Amino acid sequence: MKDNNRNWVGKPLPRKEEGRLLRGRGKFADDIKIREMLYLRFVRSPYAHARILKVDTSRAEGLPGVVGTLTGKQIEPLTQPFIEIGPEPCAKIRDFPLAVDKVRYQGEPVAAVLAESPSLADDASELVQVEYEGLDPVVDAEQALKDESILHESAGTNKVWNGVFEYGDVEKAFREAAQIVNIDRLHFHRFSSTPLENNVVIGQWDPKDDHIYYWCNNSFPSFAIQFLAAHLNIPIDRIRVQTFDIGGSFGIKITSYPQMAVCALASKKAGGRPIKWVETRSEHMTASAHGNERTFRDTRVALDQDGVITAITSRHVDDCGAYPRYEPLGCVIWSQVFPGVYRFKNARIDFTQAMTNKCPVGPNRGYSRMQHLWFLERVVDICAHELGIPADQMRLRNYIRPEEFPYTTPNGCVYDSGDYPKMLAIAKNLIGWDEWKKKQAEARKQGRLIGIGIGTTLDSGTNNFGQSQIVNPHAPFSGNSQGANCKLDIYGEVVVAVGSCPQGQGHETTAAQVVADVLNISPDLISVRTGFDTERNVHTGFSGTYASQFAVSGLSAVHGAAQKLKAEMKRLAAFVLETQEDDIEFGRGAQGPELRAQTKGKSINYWGLANIVNVNSAVLPPEMHDITLNCRYIWRAPFKVPDTKKKYGNLTMTYASQLHIAIIEIDRDAFIPRILDYVAVDDCGTVINPAIVEGQVYGATAHGIGAALMETCVYDAVGNMLTSTFSDYTPITAMNMPKVKYGHIETPSPHSYSGAKGMGEGGAAPVHTISAALQDALFSSGIIIGDSFNNADTLFRAMVGREIYQADKLVKLERRA
Amino acid sequence: MAIKFNGEFEVKRTPEQVFDFLTDPQKFAPLLPEFQGMSVEDPTHFTVKVNVGISHIKGTANVRMELAQAERPTRAQYKGQGSVAGGNVSLVAGFDVSPNGDGARVAWQGEAQIFGRLTSVAGGLLEPLGRKNVQKLINGLQAALS
Repeated sequence: MKDNNRNWVGKPLPRKEEGRLLRGRGKFADDIKIREMLYLRFVRSPYAHARILKVDTSRAEGLPGVVGTLTGKQIEPLTQPFIEIGPEPCAKIRDFPLAVDKVRYQGEPVAAVLAESPSLADDASELVQVEYEGLDPVVDAEQALKDESILHESAGTNKVWNGVFEYGDVEKAFREAAQIVNIDRLHFHRFSSTPLENNVVIGQWDPKDDHIYYWCNNSFPSFAIQFLAAHLNIPIDRIRVQTFDIGGSFGIKITSYPQMAVCALASKKAGGRPIKWVETRSEHMTASAHGNERTFRDTRVALDQDGVITAITSRHVDDCGAYPRYEPLGCVIWSQVFPGVYRFKNARIDFTQAMTNKCPVGPNRGYSRMQHLWFLERVVDICAHELGIPADQMRLRNYIRPEEFPYTTPNGCVYDSGDYPKMLAIAKNLIGWDEWKKKQAEARKQGRLIGIGIGTTLDSGTNNFGQSQIVNPHAPFSGNSQGANCKLDIYGEVVVAVGSCPQGQGHETTAAQVVADVLNISPDLISVRTGFDTERNVHTGFSGTYASQFAVSGLSAVHGAAQKLKAEMKRLAAFVLETQEDDIEFGRGAQGPELRAQTKGKSINYWGLANIVNVNSAVLPPEMHDITLNCRYIWRAPFKVPDTKKKYGNLTMTYASQLHIAIIEIDRDAFIPRILDYVAVDDCGTVINPAIVEGQVYGATAHGIGAALMETCVYDAVGNMLTSTFSDYTPITAMNMPKVKYGHIETPSPHSYSGAKGMGEGGAAPVHTISAALQDALFSSGIIIGDSFNNADTLFRAMVGREIYQADKLVKLERRA
Repeated sequence: MAIKFNGEFEVKRTPEQVFDFLTDPQKFAPLLPEFQGMSVEDPTHFTVKVNVGISHIKGTANVRMELAQAERPTRAQYKGQGSVAGGNVSLVAGFDVSPNGDGARVAWQGEAQIFGRLTSVAGGLLEPLGRKNVQKLINGLQAALS
């Protein structure tokens, strides 16, 4: 810990939020009811790709209780297409929140119905008649790049972005390689998040002041309002967004701004009445946002005689669904973890993103990096198996070494700290590695298929938004910042406000711990305002909760604001107590927290200080008038704009790491993979609250196990989504979770004031780990695990049908003399 | 999702009689399973109303049909498009009529494309239900032409 006082940071305090959330007293967006509120229901496309010939809303409008309808044709002349982050051809896409002339994915909103009750809106939506002319859908990204069926005619292509990331001397490394492993195709599947609370928006375009008011659960409101202001032709200061308790987001709720736009426009049409839209589960599954799907082609890996990787080349094709929206940021965000946890210096990745007739993607826990990290872990495991090197030894030979930190990656990212070999040793010890190896050997003699898999991964936190300029040199973003406010209220209460919108991460608790250490008081005496509110004026353009950053950006802002407040309190107390500032100490007296003049035996409590500034200010001399006891602090990350031509620069501030080990048995009769044992070891630097960190590790582990074995978004050949309900999508539940053994180390980050690193996304460690364990179980059967999703059906097709994953077709080893 | 059907049957009618029957909406459409009614717009366009009940999804589907091909007496083809709660359907059904002794042989092919939530909610039921209903239609055709 680099900050001196550490009475509260590092303690496993119960979360301050727990009391209301566990008693059902949380306040969520759907709890809000406003006078004259109307309810909105979307009419959605059953087609993945079709021309809209006619939208007839007359029958719906004739239903008593229906106040109005809205169509794409109606909103097109009133609005601007949403901003596109990417350059041309992406920039030519005309994206509106209701389809205007075409639908491009199943579930795309075509019209909206406003009614006096949710059920009336539901009934009326079924009366809207839409005539479609079906068009050829394209559901595969590689197929989409052939441009045989174009989604956006204005763009003229389905390609969103392409770029080559090349570093080191790739050709030389391959010339000098002792062995080369070629891998034909790997594929990371499409899955999503299933937060307990779906998207909710209440929007009001108030004619009295021409302001738009939102009460919602968007998880990156400062990003949303930038899109909304431009789209709705309204100054950004006239948009107020408030969020409350949020029942999970995992990134997926970042992209709810199209629905927010429709609610505002609908409110305007309804004369300023507030409009509430509550997303159903099927809507969420079909049409909110999914994680990026990615295919890895023609991978070549150069290795030396000992299995040390010296170079990798590969061609990656990312599928972003029907509209880029948050994309093409994913085309560069993966490069935050370009070499993963490995030391290779030479690499060339040709990265292309394509649109398909599927739900648009959005940032999904581990956004864009997990796909790449899974790819690297697959590469390491496949090479290990091909070369006959044990998976743990292969990693130890290739890991970045502890003494090399801070470590600069080939593309200029600076990994702050870490100790991967130590994490591996702890994980092996926790799982009983040697014992399992013996059991595995015995089981194999009995014909049982047991695999032991390792997944080492990174959770990069606090982005340099300058990386957006790598995909679009004209993008107006760089750096990162976060705001916070810390004040003594009139009666001396310590009140903290932050620009984040937590969804279960415990910001209320951790912010209180940080301020408690600064002021030397109990966290119980600190009130933290949770939820985002533009009018609190503590947000920057980067505020929200996403990308594993609160522990660094949010708490740095809180720490800065608390330090400013502390300095003002000290100065004021010195004046009042007629002493020097260095004589003042913070402590607790008979009347609560106070500041004492150590040499004078006098003290003043917080109420006394607040009273002077707020209601008794005539006693203050002019030189004290700058003291407000209401301190706003904007923390800025020390980033530079990356070199966009070389695609080089530091893209992230901190790199938490995770190392998981799984033991899996594949049932020989039913082909069901079962987890027999599981270990998760985490390193997120200095831990602010161990209980919260451990909880996030379990959550991320569950999410990843679900993704690896149970959850996949299935589309048929014409773009029907076949997993639009929980019955079909089968999200993981507590019943499916193995008992997870947890361990952790702390390698403090030199990049954050506290040594903490952002965490919570987990780097999708279980997806890598489970693929590795299945690989280990099946390698001797000539099978290469080529997909991130594996269930009994997949394994049956590989093991019995021999349709997929056949090593002799997918992998080729070249040994040089 | 796509469901494909095909088959053939023989009837004791001339190819011309079979063709005339197949291309007359007033005669052909009532044989559709769960037929409720129809409205004819012109000799080649009509809309049929059929009851639909798949699992818990129940309602009425309006299917706009077009006689897309009519080459007397050898070939007739219908194209249709309709909507029902939870999905849309587009279909193509063709009949090739050839002489068979003193009667005719009818070779038929059809393909239905189903779109929408219906496919995920009732996906597994659609194909057997479709086959059952197609068989009903063919049985009805055979009966009417015998």
